Amino acid sequence: MGMARIEAIASHFPDAVLDNAALAKLYPDWPASKILEKTGIASRHISAPGETSADLAEQAARKMFAAGVDPASIDYLLFCTQTPDHVLPTTACVLQEKLGLRTDIGALDFNLGCSGFVYGLSLAKGLIETGQAKRVLLLTADTYSKLIHPKDKSVRTLFGDGAAATLIAECDATEPQIGPFVFGTDGSGAQNLVVPSGGYRNPRDAASAVEQTDASGNVRSADNLYMNGPAIMAFTLREVPAAIARLSDVTGRRLNDYDVVAFHQANGFMLERLRAKLGIEPSRFALRLESCGNTVSSTIPIALEPLVGQETKRRALLVGFGVGYSWAACEAVLPSKGDL
Amino acid sequence: MNAFYAGMAEIFEIAETDITPDLDLASHTWDSLAIVSTIALIDECFNQLVGGKALAECATIADIEALIRIDAAKVA
Repeated sequence: MGMARIEAIASHFPDAVLDNAALAKLYPDWPASKILEKTGIASRHISAPGETSADLAEQAARKMFAAGVDPASIDYLLFCTQTPDHVLPTTACVLQEKLGLRTDIGALDFNLGCSGFVYGLSLAKGLIETGQAKRVLLLTADTYSKLIHPKDKSVRTLFGDGAAATLIAECDATEPQIGPFVFGTDGSGAQNLVVPSGGYRNPRDAASAVEQTDASGNVRSADNLYMNGPAIMAFTLREVPAAIARLSDVTGRRLNDYDVVAFHQANGFMLERLRAKLGIEPSRFALRLESCGNTVSSTIPIALEPLVGQETKRRALLVGFGVGYSWAACEAVLPSKGDL
Repeated sequence: MNAFYAGMAEIFEIAETDITPDLDLASHTWDSLAIVSTIALIDECFNQLVGGKALAECATIADIEALIRIDAAKVA
């Protein structure tokens, strides 16, 4: 058995664009320039009514296939989303059919948010390096816009809809091309990034749909996404540096030993604070959110997409963190054109 | 406290000279975004993480400074 390696990434966004000028009309205290300054985001893509995470993931996969990846070679499908098409069946099964993948393959969904891509790499590596699969298609997609109240600027300014398709495949390298990993989970933060109703704990009803205005003037109901921004900021500043230190203990590498450091693209302000706190050189720090916002589990592959299959091979450090709380960090080698 | 005051002035978009211990936070935009920014600022200036709820309950700059000292005492 060989090593698992990232071999291709393709992203897809819905057509509709929500820019800061449109948001500024809704939030009089926040001119477009302030939204850009505070979030690092100029515009986000928004899914159409009836356009689902599976639709976005399908298009990302089709883009990858059009670039040369043979769909018949895929022998495992992983789909990371928090906005699935159905409670059941598993959306990955629906995607197997939509994409015309073989029927003798494994397929499963997993529910993680901003840490999901790194966990997906971990699962794919496990499948490949234990001989259970050779070519894993990892799809990440979310449509948080469908959960966000239009008058909640605390989240509507940040999140965008989008998807990414990542091919993780067996290669004949002798050194690991993905990993090692460190993980983190702290369910005590579950209520700080949450859609309170809509599951079986708190089913949606007339009461859950009642809108309330918070101290910052944001409107939402229990059916909508709620984010406790201060708590998430504190969690991130606490756990991301700690996770990186744990990984460094394993690898012996320091941050500026990496060609690329790609964090979950939460928002520009948080990323800059983390970058400065950790002393990461700007030239190594991946940023790709200005025109798409925070696309949850797709942000890291979207940031890596332009770096795979280029002239030079790059060693990357990846860190996903967020809803759960859930976080994970790992190394990954991004192969050059000549490696593939 | 200079870097902290400069940072608070930036958050409130006012002159640094206007940041005084008795500055009334409620007379400025002491909202979720300002609190998020202040958590990051305190981390930057003092390498301390202050809770958002405690910050939200602060009425003045002096209250925030007291929170930093209390947290510093806890850390020590």
